[in-house]
Amino acid sequence: MAGQYKKVKVAAGRGGWGGPLTIEPTDSRPLIYCVTGGGIHPVAQRIADLTGGEVFDGFKSSAPFEKIAVAVIDCGGTARVGVYPMKKVKTVDIHATSPAGPLAAFITADLFVSGVKPDDVTEA
Amino acid sequence: MTAGPAAGVRVRYRTEVLAVGAMIPDFRESGLLVFFAEQAPRELHDIVVLHRPSVAESAPEPGDVFELDGERFTITAVGSVVAENLLRLGHVSVKADGAVTAALPGDLNVAKGRLPLPAAGSTMRIVAGGAAEADAEPTEEPS
Repeated sequence: MAGQYKKVKVAAGRGGWGGPLTIEPTDSRPLIYCVTGGGIHPVAQRIADLTGGEVFDGFKSSAPFEKIAVAVIDCGGTARVGVYPMKKVKTVDIHATSPAGPLAAFITADLFVSGVKPDDVTEA
Repeated sequence: MTAGPAAGVRVRYRTEVLAVGAMIPDFRESGLLVFFAEQAPRELHDIVVLHRPSVAESAPEPGDVFELDGERFTITAVGSVVAENLLRLGHVSVKADGAVTAALPGDLNVAKGRLPLPAAGSTMRIVAGGAAEADAEPTEEPS
C-alpha cells in the first residue's frame, strides 16, 4: 500500500521529551487531529503536508480515536497530554512538557513527544 | 477581617460551570481541577470542568484570588501558558498546593487547601489582587 501516504519522523524539540515518533496515516487512520484552538497549528499542517494525512480541527467537530494518526496539542502539562496517549493515540505537544499530572502513567516515549516545532518534523 | 467583595473589585475572569467530568472528583482529591470552556473536544469532557465564561478580561497574576463558589484561594504562581490558554480556550489547571513556582506551564497554583467540588451552576472567578492579600491562607477546612 505504499504510495498514498508517507511517513514522517517527529523528534523532540529544545527542552522537549519523548519520541521520536514515526507517523504514518492510513486509510483507516487518516487524521492529523489538531487540538490547539485557533485553527490548524503549523506543526499539524506540516505533518499533514508531508504525510498526505488530513488535517482536522478538534475544536470544530469530533472524531473517534480510531481515526486519528496523530494528535497535535498545545497542552500546558496536565490534561490533553494524557488523554490521547491513554487511548494509544500518538501525541505531539507543541509545548516542552514531560509526563506529569494524573494521567502521567499513560505518557510514554513511544506515544508522546514534546517541544515540537515544524522543523522537528522530517521525512522518514 | 474578612475582605469581602469590596468596592472596586476587578474581576479578570468569571464563568459558570456547565458540567463536571467523571474523573474530576478524583482529580480534586489530589488537589487539582482542570477547567475548559464548552468548545472543548468531546474526548476531554471526562477530565475537565466544562464552563461558559461571561468575563474573560485579563490573565491572572500571583496575588490575585481564585474563587470557586465563594471559597477564596490566593494565587501563588501562574504558569507561562496560563494567560493564553485561559483567555483563548477557557483552559487552566488549578492546583491547590501553594507552590510559588508553576511546575508545569499550564498550572495555576493557589494556596494550599481543599478545593470545593464544583457542580453545574457553580461560579468561578479570578479577581485581581491587592484587597485580598490579607487572606493568604484559607483558614476554614470543611471536612
